[in-house]
Amino acid sequence: MFNLILALFSGAAGSLTVGLIPESKNRLRKLTVLIFAVSSALFSWMLAIDVFAGENIRIACELGRLTFSLEPDPMGAVFGLIASSLWVFAAVYSFGYMEKKKNKRTYFAFLLLSLTMTLGVAFSGNLVVLYLFYELLTFSTYPLVIHERSSEAVKAGRKYILYSLIGAGAILFATVITYSWSGNLEFVGEPVFKGLLRPGLNGLLLLFIAGFGVKAAVIPLHRWLPAAMVAPTPVSALLHAVAVVYSGVFGILRVVYSVFGHEIVGQLSISNILPWIAAFTILAGIIIATRQDVLKRRLAYQTISHLSYILLGAFTLKSWGLAGAVFHMISYSTLKVALFFCAGIISEKTGETNISRMQGVGRSLPKTMFAFSAAIMGMIGMLPLNTFWGKYYLMKGSVEAGKWPLALVLIGSGIINAICFIPVIVNAFRGEREKVSVERGESSLLMLAPTLVLIIISLIIGLVPGLIWPGVEAVVKGFY
Amino acid sequence: MLLAIIPVVPLIGALILFLKRDNGFINIPFVTSGAALILSVFALKNVSGGTILYFKFPVNGPFVPSFRADLLSAVFIFLSAFLWLVVSLYSPGYMKHEGRGKVFEISTLFTFASVLGGFLAADLLTLLLFFELMTVSSFFWVIHKWDKEAIKAGYFYLFYSITGGLFIALGIVLKNSGTEMQTAWSIILFVAGFGIKAGMAPLHLWLPHAHSVAPTPGSALLSGLLIKVGAYGLIRVGQLAGWGTNLTMGFPWLGVALIVLGTITMLTGVLAALIQSHAKRLLAYHSISQMGYIILGLGLGLYMGGDGSLGLIGAVYHIVNHALFKVALFLGVGIIYIHTKETDLYKLGGLWRRFPLTAVLMLVAVLGITGAPGLNGYASKTILHHAVSQAAETGQPWMIWVERVFSVVGIGTAASFSKLYYLIFLGKPSNIKEKSAEVKEVKFSSGLHLAMGLLAAVMIGIGIKPELLPGTVIVPAAEKLGMENASLVLNNLFFWNMSDIISMIITLMLGMIVCWAGLKSRIFHWHPPAWITIEGLGRIAFAGISAVWQKAIKCYQTFTVFVQDTAKGLINRTVMAFQSPDKPRGAAGKVRLAGISADAAVLIMAFILLVIWYTLMHLKP
Repeated sequence: MFNLILALFSGAAGSLTVGLIPESKNRLRKLTVLIFAVSSALFSWMLAIDVFAGENIRIACELGRLTFSLEPDPMGAVFGLIASSLWVFAAVYSFGYMEKKKNKRTYFAFLLLSLTMTLGVAFSGNLVVLYLFYELLTFSTYPLVIHERSSEAVKAGRKYILYSLIGAGAILFATVITYSWSGNLEFVGEPVFKGLLRPGLNGLLLLFIAGFGVKAAVIPLHRWLPAAMVAPTPVSALLHAVAVVYSGVFGILRVVYSVFGHEIVGQLSISNILPWIAAFTILAGIIIATRQDVLKRRLAYQTISHLSYILLGAFTLKSWGLAGAVFHMISYSTLKVALFFCAGIISEKTGETNISRMQGVGRSLPKTMFAFSAAIMGMIGMLPLNTFWGKYYLMKGSVEAGKWPLALVLIGSGIINAICFIPVIVNAFRGEREKVSVERGESSLLMLAPTLVLIIISLIIGLVPGLIWPGVEAVVKGFY
Repeated sequence: MLLAIIPVVPLIGALILFLKRDNGFINIPFVTSGAALILSVFALKNVSGGTILYFKFPVNGPFVPSFRADLLSAVFIFLSAFLWLVVSLYSPGYMKHEGRGKVFEISTLFTFASVLGGFLAADLLTLLLFFELMTVSSFFWVIHKWDKEAIKAGYFYLFYSITGGLFIALGIVLKNSGTEMQTAWSIILFVAGFGIKAGMAPLHLWLPHAHSVAPTPGSALLSGLLIKVGAYGLIRVGQLAGWGTNLTMGFPWLGVALIVLGTITMLTGVLAALIQSHAKRLLAYHSISQMGYIILGLGLGLYMGGDGSLGLIGAVYHIVNHALFKVALFLGVGIIYIHTKETDLYKLGGLWRRFPLTAVLMLVAVLGITGAPGLNGYASKTILHHAVSQAAETGQPWMIWVERVFSVVGIGTAASFSKLYYLIFLGKPSNIKEKSAEVKEVKFSSGLHLAMGLLAAVMIGIGIKPELLPGTVIVPAAEKLGMENASLVLNNLFFWNMSDIISMIITLMLGMIVCWAGLKSRIFHWHPPAWITIEGLGRIAFAGISAVWQKAIKCYQTFTVFVQDTAKGLINRTVMAFQSPDKPRGAAGKVRLAGISADAAVLIMAFILLVIWYTLMHLKP
């Protein structure tokens, strides 16, 4: 109970505190941010351990006929763990990245505030609370997207907020329909629609998926994500590769498994189409990525592709598919954050954002490019890295569901990932740069250390996937 | 525990090498491979009684790297440790010329670790793990020079290997999923995945590029050992299908498929090798061809079921022998290369005067690969030949064609190596020797020649006592795999059979004649048109695919632009519809009915209709 409250509101409290610290007091701010981020992560871990052990933790208050309830189940706990743990890494990275930038107070205040919102999405106990935090997440990350205040950033911010709000509108509409049809919005326990098969559910599910699909960047609704790459790199790393987009993915997982239930969805005719929508996004996303020259945009399109891996696993409606989805959610986030961190280091240290001008970067930044290469190996699905296991269980799930061509889609996307990123690596190690402006110092260490630690964690998980297996197993057991 | 230590030994070596600043006197790769060799002897001793060593890290979870050694793995570990030892003797002298030796040595040790791990893997997932590590670490060999050619070869190598790894992963998924159809597909995927690594015929295109641009010690190990990991994988896949069982119920097609693929691989490799002028490419194509022998042997072993032990024994034996002579050949060519900086055969010639020792050692290797009696190639080729003729006697008529191809490939190999040896060491003296005339051959080449000498000694040893190796390890290994009557078959086999020796000598003679005719008629300079060679076909297909690709991208872009324009147009129209055209928008926000445009009227009508339709639909009880 206290774990839940402390984990959830550490971010908000930290945000307030950081807001009170004047702009000039850098060390104090760093310390505060670190304390609150670490405490949030720590309490999330303690909470998650309780939840995986089967304990039921619930905070609820009645407001008229609606209940405001926070009740993390294993899936929420996993998402909370991912978000709060990676937040620590992103915070440390931000110290290095933001060292010479302006407006640090706003930046860190909203960074911490969005942690609370993300955890709220993760720990929400019913659709209304989920919707509430989902909207608040949009608003609390908007200042981060437009942090540069350039016209491009403002434009991207407008796009982000428009897309998100329209999506959220669809979710609100769908929530109202759900309530009027079932009279219940709680996630924990039986799915809301269990035994309530009725016409119109197809459309409702589609409405939900269209709504959450905006943040999950399903392909016709993805345009805001590459645009939002104008944000500072830690924000792109954490929010646009993990927290914000995962809140969309998490919403879809919730809708499919907690609101509809996989049995009901399996009886809907739309369930035959959904995996193919995800498969299309997987292939189209990574194919578009091959055409991008700005590294962060290429990574963004790769994010689009990989988010749909998770959706694909969820839409197979089989236990192995769900296991793959959860596993991919965990492992992909570590590597993707590391990839964005690398992109940030490259652009900070050498000033290059375009791939075509990155010749010889690897010679001046060998450790960074090592981390980058390792992460790319993982994205392709090579073994010593943890994403292989996500892919492996996803393939298992799609075979189990009798849709084996989906497994081929996963293989194909792995190969296109290789085509897309291996030339970047090879180019980076090839030739020498004339101008090398590599500064060594604290800031580069602060940026490099989280990256390398993340890669090492991924390697360890890849070698011994049993380390995170209890979490995955708890999620799957909760629904099957 | 021993099993977990063996792959770690090279990693420790790599770490020391990485941390060490100066170039000390100790040859760390040599020490490491020596240690691994000693450990592998222990492993061999432990498993020789038929026990199986097993080790798993004490962690829970869906996957933990687990190691297992039976006799087959132990043989391969011993072989790889020996080859690495030999190459580590060779590489310091060679890498002085190539430069950036430290990177090379570190990647060599990493590759060593992953090869050892691959041979010791207890399950397919662990095998895949080390397989991928091997790909990554040996990639540094291929791309060592960082010039255009090396990068192209590196891409080839990496993309093929990654695809192979993904195939194997999907195969593992399908294998565990139950139905017969899916298991069959998993076997196909395994054959393709391991076949890519083994250089099997339609999937071999990466091999000549990668093996010829790597620094010579790297090429030697790539050709000598790394492709054998693919063959080892195929043996383990055969274990899934069942060695020594009649595959009528399981996968009866697997044996036939491997025979056909092996035959095609043999033939393509040797035909392509004949028209090469680059020495290392020639050797690389022969690696493909010799892998064909091995795959053919495995196919025969599966096809013949319980009687197929000759095929399996021959294949394993040939893996060992090919590793020995192929490494020796590459090392010899490397010695020539560092002194002359030339690998084009037609520019070399008459070098036996300047490199007498190399010439003798190369002769042993050349005779070995062509299968001359008294050397190791003869032993395994004879066993394979027996296996083929045994199958031809009992099997279908198409087996006779396999036998014929087998003979033709033997002649082609002899011809090709006569050409190699003639053009490098005999023939008219070349005029390029001045390039590095100051380098005396004897000066620092002790390591170089020691390495080749070791290999030659082992080759001659095997050649003189050809029944020793199968009798002690290979046959028991085959028995462990399931070939119950393997020892019986071996007892019936007599290597110094007059007819075998004579047929081998005839093959050699014919090969030399073909070589002479080819050199005279200049047919070896023939460049075949693209549509005949698989490589050319691949290039055509690639061009086609990329053309379609560009077209598709263009179509997609047109489409997105169209969608964008339409959406923008619609939005503009909607906005315009509610603005009166003559008055500015800020006119107190009053929208008079008369001011509504036709568009707005249509929109409102549509909305009203929608509401009416919805109400009507839901009015029904």
